[in-house]
Amino acid sequence: MAAPATALVVLCLVLPVSATITATFYAGGGPFDLYAAFLASGFRRSVLWRTLEISLITTALSLVIGFFTAYAISRTPPRWRSVLIILAVFPLLTGVVVRSFAWLIILGRNGILNDFLVWIGIEGAPFTMVFTKGSVIVAMVYLFVPLMVLTIVGVLENIPDDVIEAAQSLGASPTQTFRQVIFPLAVPGLIVGAVLVFTGSFNSYATPQLLGGDQQMMMGTFLYQRAMVAFDWDGATTVSAIMVAVTLAVVIGMTRVAKHLNPMTT
Amino acid sequence: MTGRLHPALIAFAFIVYFFLMGPLVIVVGAALSDTGYLTFPPQGLTLHWFERIFEMSAFRRTLVTSFQVAAISTCFALVIGIPAAYALNRYRVQLPGWLSTLFVLPVLIPEIVLGFSLLRSIQVGAGLPVVSTLIVGHTLLVLPYAVRVISASLASFDFTIEEAAVSLGSPPVKTFFTIVLPNVKAGVIASIFLAFITSINDVSVALFLTGPGISTLPIQILAHVEQFFDPVIASVSVLLMVLTVIVMAVVERTLGLTFLTK
Amino acid sequence: MTTPLTLRNLTAHYGATKVLDDLSLDVGAGELVALLGASGCGKTTTLRLVAGFLQPTAGTIHLGATDLTRLVAHKRNIGLVFQNYALFPHLTVRDNVAFGLKQRGLSGAERGSRAGEMLERVGLSALAGRLPGALSGGQRQRVALARALVIEPPLLMFDEPLSNLDAKLRVEMRVEIRELQRANQTTAIFVTHDQEEAFSISDRVAIMEAGRIRQFDRPETLYSRPANAFVARFVGFENLIPLTVTARDAGRITAEGEGGIDMTLLEDDLGPIPDRFILATRPDGLRVLYGGHGIPARIGLRTYVGRAYHYQAETPAGNLVASGPLGQPREHGETARLVPEPEQCSILPPEAAA
Repeated sequence: MAAPATALVVLCLVLPVSATITATFYAGGGPFDLYAAFLASGFRRSVLWRTLEISLITTALSLVIGFFTAYAISRTPPRWRSVLIILAVFPLLTGVVVRSFAWLIILGRNGILNDFLVWIGIEGAPFTMVFTKGSVIVAMVYLFVPLMVLTIVGVLENIPDDVIEAAQSLGASPTQTFRQVIFPLAVPGLIVGAVLVFTGSFNSYATPQLLGGDQQMMMGTFLYQRAMVAFDWDGATTVSAIMVAVTLAVVIGMTRVAKHLNPMTT
Repeated sequence: MTGRLHPALIAFAFIVYFFLMGPLVIVVGAALSDTGYLTFPPQGLTLHWFERIFEMSAFRRTLVTSFQVAAISTCFALVIGIPAAYALNRYRVQLPGWLSTLFVLPVLIPEIVLGFSLLRSIQVGAGLPVVSTLIVGHTLLVLPYAVRVISASLASFDFTIEEAAVSLGSPPVKTFFTIVLPNVKAGVIASIFLAFITSINDVSVALFLTGPGISTLPIQILAHVEQFFDPVIASVSVLLMVLTVIVMAVVERTLGLTFLTK
Repeated sequence: MTTPLTLRNLTAHYGATKVLDDLSLDVGAGELVALLGASGCGKTTTLRLVAGFLQPTAGTIHLGATDLTRLVAHKRNIGLVFQNYALFPHLTVRDNVAFGLKQRGLSGAERGSRAGEMLERVGLSALAGRLPGALSGGQRQRVALARALVIEPPLLMFDEPLSNLDAKLRVEMRVEIRELQRANQTTAIFVTHDQEEAFSISDRVAIMEAGRIRQFDRPETLYSRPANAFVARFVGFENLIPLTVTARDAGRITAEGEGGIDMTLLEDDLGPIPDRFILATRPDGLRVLYGGHGIPARIGLRTYVGRAYHYQAETPAGNLVASGPLGQPREHGETARLVPEPEQCSILPPEAAA
């Protein structure tokens, strides 16, 4: 019964993606020539480093913002809790393009923020904010905080009330309970959230395209540029292979770590 | 886990929600602005930009394409996803372990790489038409939603009920439609809407699979923003947000939105 | 260290619903008291009030001279054993047991040695380094017990601690809990819905219903002399026959009931009998005889209960359950007389029209 779905995934996902990756080993003179060429180019290296840097910063900021927000949500009375969850789901289900575009209105040269800065008479305003690393990071954090919040809320709600009560009955103050019980039990959720956000940022396209442009090229935008603008398919397959490798490495590696840390599974 | 919250934490959560909602409110405001450029707060209010969407053939066409692709992909994903979810839950023990991993792959593989690979192998390589490749891509994209959401519903389904029906003389296929499916109706409806909106919002897969004359709405928005910076985009965004609200209302009615935290 | 627990006029609400109604209870120093009742009777609410997880709408809680009523939960110093054990899944057995000591600021070495001693007492030294997920139900229960005992609390509370264990282990753990509690002379509250468990483990039992204590007594007294119809039914008095006195003659009472039944009872056997009362018996206290002065009955279903047969019997006073000797089985449809055994009967006040 699972055969049609299996066939589709194998034929239209596993094979084409494998073909893309395999192609990188045959296109150059030696199997790793394309990768050597990629790493030899200062520009390409900078794209990779920038992507890693932006993804890491986005992940770190989303973790901090997401965790405290999720903690606040999980301690809110049930009626308000569902309102807060709904408000977090709304941006999540609103498209990436719409959400990135919103930041273009805010951060643009004639955007709201600059209007405001000019109005209050800030020296040097308006500033150039779009096409900077900062604007990409802000929009990415905006993109991924809801995902982080929902992931961590799920984990926090799975912590049984009686475990928290047990800590209290044994004399742990709210702060001690948080540090010694709640936070350690939330760590596996933080890892899952971090993986989702990191891989999401690393592979993003619309946000770096709209807010980063050519100045802040990331792996996603670079892949598009290689394939559809420069028609450099060797370059595009190499970028694809690196993206897949980094994604799988992060997912598999962090799943291992989470499994190692997660005491609930025996 | 209710309890007292530190005032600083409450303030922090307020700021985060302001950060989450503010930009979307700004988009709505910009869509209603009567100036020819994007501004907020709007100087005067108008619905002119919503009319403009439908006057511009590029938006009209891509909106239709997006809805068609989303509807067809969602159907395909359900038709193959429901049996897969059923098999994964019913025969978990007998099935090889890699099978459930296989259905996670479309989430795991970067969408943009999937898009590019489909372009290479299927559109250019096998010569499949643009729209068909797009449908294949989106079916793959939304398949995990169908499998996961319906699996979650099936996980709480008691399969002995199915055995009871069979023991009472109901043939297996009929049992599936009369006993199993009605009991996971909520999951099916929710997954239809979640799959639909996922397809509508997709950029990364469609990016490579659209050609001259055939495009999807998000790709058209991206192209438009790079050339013009007018409130039409804001009003299209508002339309997409309305769609999001509809999807959320349906999911809330069926599975409950808190499902998404699980 | 033995301290009495005093609950005075406790009332509690969940939203608008009153779940505890003016409850007062005195638990003596070193005494183990069971709170017994069906779910929703208020027993767990009482425990949560004492633990500080709920606030009463009225009333006070004192442990010795200390007023606990408004004290935050983590300062109450009460050892709690939870139904689902509530072990910290991320901490080893040793760290679980040492958790309370850590909150009390004990040094690492001190914590290690005290936790080690306690684990030895519950026989889990070998598993000190394991995570709770790797333990069996009984082992988890012992860790939970050790964790609550190691802080040497003046009060121990158990919330249905044995309900997730299998029957044999339940009895073993019962004995173990009782021995540890006796050895430390710790005042204890034990919440359960299991009558046998409550009766076997405790000094006194409070039987609860609808947020009130219906009777608070030693198990022996509860079992043989229930104070009211609710408690009587709870401890197995299946036959409750409402009667009205029609004549009194020097301790010899004639009484009449529904369906025109009548019987003669002696106050010498049963104690003073009010004008309106309920005669309560277990099946074993109601004999099936061929004749004599008793309640006329038609025999229904016969069940074998080991030492005797029990019979469903249709009588003018309703359906009753009586017993008869193994030697003379009665058949379905036979007529008989049901005669109460005075020493196995209880006289109860009539039930208030509810």
